[in-house]
Amino acid sequence: MKVFPDDLLYNREHAWIRVESELATIGITDYAQENLGEILAIELPEVDSYVERDEPFGTIESAKGVFELMSPVSGEVINVNEDILDDIGIINSDPHDTGWMIVVEMKDLEELDDLLDSREYHDFVIKEAEGN
Amino acid sequence: MMIWRIIPFTHLSASENMAMDEAIFRVNQRKYSPPTLRIYSWCPPSISLGYFQKTFNEVDVSACSRYHIDIVRRPTGGKAVLHENDLTYAVIAKEHNPLFTPDILGTYKIISGCIADALSELGIHAEMSVDGRTSGDDSLKAVCFSSPSHYELLVNKRKICGSAQIRSRGVFLQHGSILLDFDPVRTCALLVPRDGDRERQIERLRESVTSVYEHTGAEISMVKICHVLQRSFEKKLGIELVEGGLTAEEEALMTRLIKDKYSNNKWNMESKGTLNGY
Repeated sequence: MKVFPDDLLYNREHAWIRVESELATIGITDYAQENLGEILAIELPEVDSYVERDEPFGTIESAKGVFELMSPVSGEVINVNEDILDDIGIINSDPHDTGWMIVVEMKDLEELDDLLDSREYHDFVIKEAEGN
Repeated sequence: MMIWRIIPFTHLSASENMAMDEAIFRVNQRKYSPPTLRIYSWCPPSISLGYFQKTFNEVDVSACSRYHIDIVRRPTGGKAVLHENDLTYAVIAKEHNPLFTPDILGTYKIISGCIADALSELGIHAEMSVDGRTSGDDSLKAVCFSSPSHYELLVNKRKICGSAQIRSRGVFLQHGSILLDFDPVRTCALLVPRDGDRERQIERLRESVTSVYEHTGAEISMVKICHVLQRSFEKKLGIELVEGGLTAEEEALMTRLIKDKYSNNKWNMESKGTLNGY
């Protein structure tokens, strides 16, 4: 059963974001990891690099293919989850918590206005699964 | 009837082939483009590596240099492929194209169905594999054709066509390689043996890989196979393939990608330079 935590915001590319002040922790959703299947490899940006909203912040390979990860916000990468580089299975087993990927210091908090809350994201994925 | 574009058959270099496919894929993400099919070969012969493979772990770079084999890293996933006696295809389309299913594997199944029908026209009965690639694959996991992935094509349990995808911004690019002829000794001479045992690797590849010519008993021209493939895509998908070249935007991006990415050792050898905003 897929999980849509209420304390997160989401983009339409299946990334979640947890906001604390100007810091945004980013990962991929439970829905995304379930669709991707077993994740085999990941590439993430380096600390101090810059990510742009709606541009790739990383790349993932699962048993089904390669997928670019789209950033929900712009900003400087201040932390990268080294644990998932050592044990990539965490992304499948705990995508919304210990499976986080990067922390970004946001440049423009107004970018958050374009993201979806959990109910909106839930409705979005239902429509997407139906092929709309 | 839905119109698709087919790019005329070409023999291009590894960097040109990958740059053309990625240019079509990237432009499609940002604006309307028709679904596109390419069928092509490689000149000079080349080894392509999956996105996450490390070149020096997989390929005997000195042997490739000796035999004038180019090395390129693909934007798509999967394993190493020697493009010497194969036909490669690329399909680029929106994920929500009504011809495809919303799930990722459904797309593999539909495209493999087109290839299977083409092989059938050539008198080869191919079946789709059902097992996926996993992290637990055996010691030959570097070689694409040694490990069938989802809906790849097998003849008597031996792989004849492998495929891999990349998806981004609602668009997919699927690459596939249809083996026309296969020489396990030659292939193994160009790759790093997994456990240092090249003879065992050759034997395993001989058992797990087959080719079109092994079943037809004679060579068939690439042009003829291309025509059979085109007809098969048209019939299976109910589409019309119309020949067309690249747009000016695709041409310009292809030129950039050749220079900045696919001719660049940082990308091909060091697995760097990926988040570049194309």
